[in-house]
Amino acid sequence: MGGRSEASTNPSHLLQRIRGFTLVLIEDLCKGRTSLVSIDRYRTHCKLIGPGDKCSCNSDMTDGREIISMEKESHANRLDVLLRVLLITQKLLLEGKHASKRDIYYMHPSIFIADQANVDRAISDTCILLHCSRHNLNVVSAGKGLVMGCLRFKESNRMFNCIRRPSVAYPVPVYVEEVKHIMGFARYILVVEKETVFQRLANDKFCEMNRCIVITGRGYPDVPTRRFLRLLIDELSLPVYCLVDCDPFGFDILLTYRFGSMQMAYDAKLLRIPEIRWLGIFSSDAEAIGLPRRCLLPLTHRDKKKAEALLQRCYLHQQVPHWRLEIEKMLQREVKFEIEALSVFSISMLSEEHLPAKIQEGRHL
Amino acid sequence: MAGNGHCNNNRLLFHSHQRLCSADILQPHEVRARIEATILKFLHLLASPTPTVADLPLIARRSKNARFRHSLFGDVTSIYLSQSLCRISLMKINVAKTFIRVWKVLELCFQLLVHGKQVTQRELFYKLLSSSPKYFDSQVQVNKSVQDVVSLLCCSRNSLGLMPSSRGTVVGRLLIQEENQEIVDCSLLGPAGQAITGNLHLLENFVFQSNARYIFVIEKDAIFQRLAEDRIFNHIPSILVTAKGYPDIATRVFLHRLSKIFPTLPILALVDWNPAGLAILCTYKFGSIGMGLEAYRYACDVKWLGLRSDDLMLVPQDSKVMMKTRDLQIAKSLMSSDMLQDHKYKEELRAMIQGGQRVEIEALYAHGYEFLGRYMVTKVVQDDYF
Repeated sequence: MGGRSEASTNPSHLLQRIRGFTLVLIEDLCKGRTSLVSIDRYRTHCKLIGPGDKCSCNSDMTDGREIISMEKESHANRLDVLLRVLLITQKLLLEGKHASKRDIYYMHPSIFIADQANVDRAISDTCILLHCSRHNLNVVSAGKGLVMGCLRFKESNRMFNCIRRPSVAYPVPVYVEEVKHIMGFARYILVVEKETVFQRLANDKFCEMNRCIVITGRGYPDVPTRRFLRLLIDELSLPVYCLVDCDPFGFDILLTYRFGSMQMAYDAKLLRIPEIRWLGIFSSDAEAIGLPRRCLLPLTHRDKKKAEALLQRCYLHQQVPHWRLEIEKMLQREVKFEIEALSVFSISMLSEEHLPAKIQEGRHL
Repeated sequence: MAGNGHCNNNRLLFHSHQRLCSADILQPHEVRARIEATILKFLHLLASPTPTVADLPLIARRSKNARFRHSLFGDVTSIYLSQSLCRISLMKINVAKTFIRVWKVLELCFQLLVHGKQVTQRELFYKLLSSSPKYFDSQVQVNKSVQDVVSLLCCSRNSLGLMPSSRGTVVGRLLIQEENQEIVDCSLLGPAGQAITGNLHLLENFVFQSNARYIFVIEKDAIFQRLAEDRIFNHIPSILVTAKGYPDIATRVFLHRLSKIFPTLPILALVDWNPAGLAILCTYKFGSIGMGLEAYRYACDVKWLGLRSDDLMLVPQDSKVMMKTRDLQIAKSLMSSDMLQDHKYKEELRAMIQGGQRVEIEALYAHGYEFLGRYMVTKVVQDDYF
C-alpha cells in the first residue's frame, strides 16, 4: 500500500492529513473547479471465468480506482457521508476516544439514511484515503475472540499471565497496539473455529498437555482477533494450525484467516496469515476412525451454494489448489462433518489422540 | 410480629414454599445416586407380584404449572414450578419414544459421571445419534430430553455433566477471589471485562469485595464496552454486568450472589426499548419457565432504569424504527403472562405496543457519545427507576 510506516499513522499525522484533504476540497470549491476524490480499490480475490485465467489479486496491487465527483448527484451523497465520518473520526482522534461502526451510525442516523452499510463504506474509504488501518482512526469493535495457553503478555497496564492457568479463556485484547512484552513458551499456535471446540480443549487441559496456545474467533474472526494472531506469529515465530468443521462455512473461515476478508481488503496485508496450515478436519478423518455414516450430516441447499461460490475464488486455483480438492470432495459426497462428531467413540479423542498425532506426523495441508 | 393480614401471608408463603420445586446443584456421586434410585424403583415395580412398567414423573414445564411467589423479605417475585407432574408412560404410543429417550440420556449421563467427563450438548447429540439412531435425529430432541432428565431428577443441567457455558462479563468496582487464586480487580480491566465462568460450583464459592453503590445490568455487549471504556464506574461507584442478550444461568447466579452479598445495592437494568429488551429484564427479574426448575433461585430484584417511555423524547425521530412481527409476538406473550399483573411494567408495555416503535440505546449517541453516561447519572441521582 505504498509507503506506510508506523510513524505515519499516529493521530497527529492523521489529523494533518484530514485537514489537508479538506483544504484541497475547499480550495477546489472556492475556485470553481470540479472536485474529484480518487479512492483506490482493493480486493482479496476475484471470480475466475475459466480455469486458465490469471489475475493479480496476489500481488497486493490496487485493483484500479474509483473517482467520486461532486458534480454527479449519485456521488454527492457518498461524499456527504464520507465528510461526516471524517468529522467524527477527527473528533475521536482529538479526544482520544474510541467508537464502533454502529456508534458512528447512530450519531447521524438521518444523514446515513438508516443504512449501516453507508457508514461502513465511508470508514473504508477514509482508511484508504488516509493510508491507515481502521484502528488508527479509533474505530474499534467489541472484542469477540478468546485465547488460552502457554502465553504471557501485557495490555496497557495489565499483565495477562495465561500460563498460570493454561485452561482458562482470556478475552483477546481489543487495543492490539497496546499489547507488549509477549512471551510464549509454546511449540505452536492452534486456531479453532468454534467456541465449543475451544471449551472441549480447555476441559481436556489441551494446552497444558501439549504446550501450545489456542485461540478462537468464535466463528468468523473479528479484526482484533486477526491482528492479535498476526502479532503473536510475528513476535513468537511459531507454526500455526487451523481447525475448522468440514463444511463450507468452516472453509470460508479458514480462507478468511489465510487471505483476509473482502470488506477489509485494503488492510489485508496486515491481517492475513499466509503461514497458516490447515489441520482439518478432513473427510478422510471420518473414514479413518470409522465414523458411522449417519453422523455425516447432508449438505443443505445453502451449503451447496456457498461451496460453489467458494470454488470460484481465484486463490483456490492459483495459490492453494490442494485446498480446492478437499472442497470439491465434500461437494461430491454431499455430506458435511462437524468436529464434535469425533466424540462419538471417545469424548477426548480430539484432544488426546487426533490432534497430537496429526501435528506430530505433519498431516496438514 | 403482625396482625391477621401478616399471619395469613406467612402461612401462605410457607405453604407455597412447600409446593415449590427446584433443581439442586449436586456432586457427581449424588446425581449417580438419584439415577440408581430411579432404576431400582423401576426394577422393583417390574419384579413385583403385579408387574408394571413405571411411569416417569417429570415436573411439568408449562405455563399452567408456573406460579409466582412473593418473597417475604425484599421485593423479589419469582417464577417457580409447582408439583404438577407430566407422566411419561411407555404404554402410551405417542410418548413411548420420549420415555425411551429419557432412559438413553440417563444411561449416557451416568457413564459420563462415572468417568468424570463433561460434554457439550452438541457432543451429546453425536453420541446419541451414533448409539441410538432410532430415537434421536436432531439437536432439538436431545435438548428436550436433557430438560426431561433435569425435571425427573431435580438436579441442574450442569450437575448431569453438561459443560457449562457462560456469555457473561463483569467490570467495575469489584474484587473477586476464587479459592487459592489471586484477587481479580474488575476496575483495572479493559472494556471486554472479566468473563464470568460457567462453572456454577466455582461461582457459588467466589469471595467478593466492593465499594460500589449500584449494580448495572446491561443488555448489549456494545453498550457494556462503551460504558466500561468511559469508566462510568468511576463517575458512579458501580459494577457492570452483561450477558450479551438473554441471560444464561451462570450470569444470573453471579448476579444473584452479588445481590445477596451486597443487599443494599440497587440493581438497575439498561435495555433497548422493545419487547425483547423488556423480556430480558423480566428473565433477570422473575426467571424463565423453560428452565423453571433452575430459574427461580436466581431471580433478583432488578429495576428498570431505561430505556422507558419518558426517555423517547430524548431520541431523534429517525432512530425510531417500526416493530417487526417477532417483536409483536413477544409483546403479546408478555402481555398475557401473569408475570406483569398489577405492575407498572404493564403500562410501559402497553405504551410500547401502542407506539409500535422500537428504539436502541445507541440512539442516545445522537447527542454525542458522552451523553449515555450523563443520562444514566441523571436518572440514578433522581431515583428514576422502578
